[in-house]
Amino acid sequence: MAYVATRGGERAIEQSERLYRAQMGRINVARVAEIEAALPALVDRVMGEASLYAPDLAALALAQSGGDLYEALLLLRAWRTTQPRLQIAEVVAPDAGFTHRRISAAFKDIPGGQILGPTLDYAHRLLATEVLEDQPYQPAEVEPSAKPAPATHPSLAEWQRAQGLVTAPEAAPVPRDEIPDLTREPLLFPAKRAHTLQSLARADTGGTLALGYSAMRGYGNSHPTVNELRLSEVEVMVAHPDGRRFSAGRVKTSQAEVVTTKGKGELRLGFTATLGWNEVKCISAATLDLNAPGAEKNSPVEEEFFLYHTEPVESSGFCIHFKLPHYVTFQSSLDNLRAAKSAKAEQAQPTDKEEETA
Amino acid sequence: MFDRNGGEMPSDDLTTLARADAARLKLLAEEILPRLRDMEVLKSGTGLVMLPMRDTVQGVEFHLGEVLVAEAHVRLPSGTEGYGMVTGRDIERAMAMALLDAALSDGIAADRIRAFIEAETQAQQAEDIATLRRIEATRVDMETF
Repeated sequence: MAYVATRGGERAIEQSERLYRAQMGRINVARVAEIEAALPALVDRVMGEASLYAPDLAALALAQSGGDLYEALLLLRAWRTTQPRLQIAEVVAPDAGFTHRRISAAFKDIPGGQILGPTLDYAHRLLATEVLEDQPYQPAEVEPSAKPAPATHPSLAEWQRAQGLVTAPEAAPVPRDEIPDLTREPLLFPAKRAHTLQSLARADTGGTLALGYSAMRGYGNSHPTVNELRLSEVEVMVAHPDGRRFSAGRVKTSQAEVVTTKGKGELRLGFTATLGWNEVKCISAATLDLNAPGAEKNSPVEEEFFLYHTEPVESSGFCIHFKLPHYVTFQSSLDNLRAAKSAKAEQAQPTDKEEETA
Repeated sequence: MFDRNGGEMPSDDLTTLARADAARLKLLAEEILPRLRDMEVLKSGTGLVMLPMRDTVQGVEFHLGEVLVAEAHVRLPSGTEGYGMVTGRDIERAMAMALLDAALSDGIAADRIRAFIEAETQAQQAEDIATLRRIEATRVDMETF
C-alpha cells in the first residue's frame, strides 16, 4: 500500500470555491454594516464563539462565509492570530457592568428588582409576512420611564451569601498575567476552573445547548433554575504608559448563574459568561458547570466530555475533514474487509476429506 | 459616566476621550496637530486586549475573550507622551486620542481640549441616562401580580 499521487483537482477546487462565493455575490462595506446593524444576536454569537470582540469583523466574517457560522469562526480565530496582545485588561467584577437586563427565575424580590431589558421572551412568535408584500415592519418605540434605571445591580449570589444560602468564594485574586489562558496553554484534566470557564465562554452555542439540554432532561444530576441572568456592557479598563487607568470602551457581555437546592444544606451554583449577548449559551453552559462536580466518566455533563465536544473550531473541523479524500485509508479498510470475507468463505468450503466422509 | 463616583475610573479624561464621538475627536485633533510639530510616533496599530472576569461561584478569575483595540503612542519634543486606546480598529481615532492626551499634558490648547472633554462627558452622560430610562421601562412591578 502506498500513497497515490493524483492530478486533476486544481481546476475543480478553484471553480467550486467560485461557485460557493457566487451565491453571495459582491461584498462591500454597506453589506457588512447592514449585517452588523440588522443581526446583533448573530454577530454576538459569533464574537463569543470566536473569543474576539470585534463587531465589524464578525459581520465581515459572516458576509464572507455566507452565514456559515463555523467558517466565520475559523476566519475570526485565524485573523486573531495576526494581532499582538497589547494588554490584559482589569478583571471585570460580575456586578460592575452597565446592566441592560437582569432577571432571576429563582427569587421574585431580588435586590435591584427584575429588569427584563431587551428580550423576545414574551413576544408572540408571528412571522411578519407582510414585509414580503413590501410593507415594512416598523417596531413600536420604547416608552422611556421618567427616571433612569440604576446603571449597576448588585450580585444576587452576594445577597445569597449574606443570608448564608451559598458558600463564599474560596479563590483569591491572582496577578492578571498569571490567569490561566487556553490560547497559550493546553486544556488538561481535571481542568483548572479558569480553563473551564474560558472554554465555556468560547464554546459552541449549539453544542452547549445539546449537552446542557440533556442534563436538563434528566441525564445530569441537578435540574437548573436561573438564579441570575444578566446582559451588560462592561468597561475595558486598560493602563496608560504613565500608569493612569481608563476605559478603552465598553463591550457587551452576558452571564448566567443557575442554582439547585441539591447541596449540603446550601444552594449550589453553576456559572458561565461570554462575550456578546447570548442567553441560551450561558444558561446551557452554566447547567453543565452546575452538573460537572461528581459527574460520571463519559457522561455528557462530565467536564472532559463537554469541554472537548463543545469547542466549535475543533469539532466542526473534525467533522468536515471527513469530506476530504480518505481513498487510501478507506481502500485499505476495504481490502481488509474483502480479505476477511474471502477467508470466511474459504473456511465455509468443505475440505476434500469432509466431502469424502459425506 | 455611570460609575465614576465610585472611584473605579481614576482617569475620567482618558475614558471620555476613548468614548468620544469619533468624527468630533478627529476634527479637534486635526485642528491642534499643527501645534504639535516634530512629534514622534512610538506606536500605532491594532491589537488585542484580553478581558478577564471574576466567576460568581468560586471567585475564580478567568479570561472571557479578547477585545480588538486600536492603539497609538506619541512623544512630543518636550518629552511629553500621549496615549490612545479605543475599542475597534480605527487607528486614526486612537491617534487623535493620543494627540489630545499629549497636548493636554503639555498645556497645548488645554482650554479647547478641556471644553471638548466637558462637552463629550455631558453627551455621554445624557446618552447613558437615555438608555437607562428605556431600560427602566422594562422593570417588572411585582406588586401588581
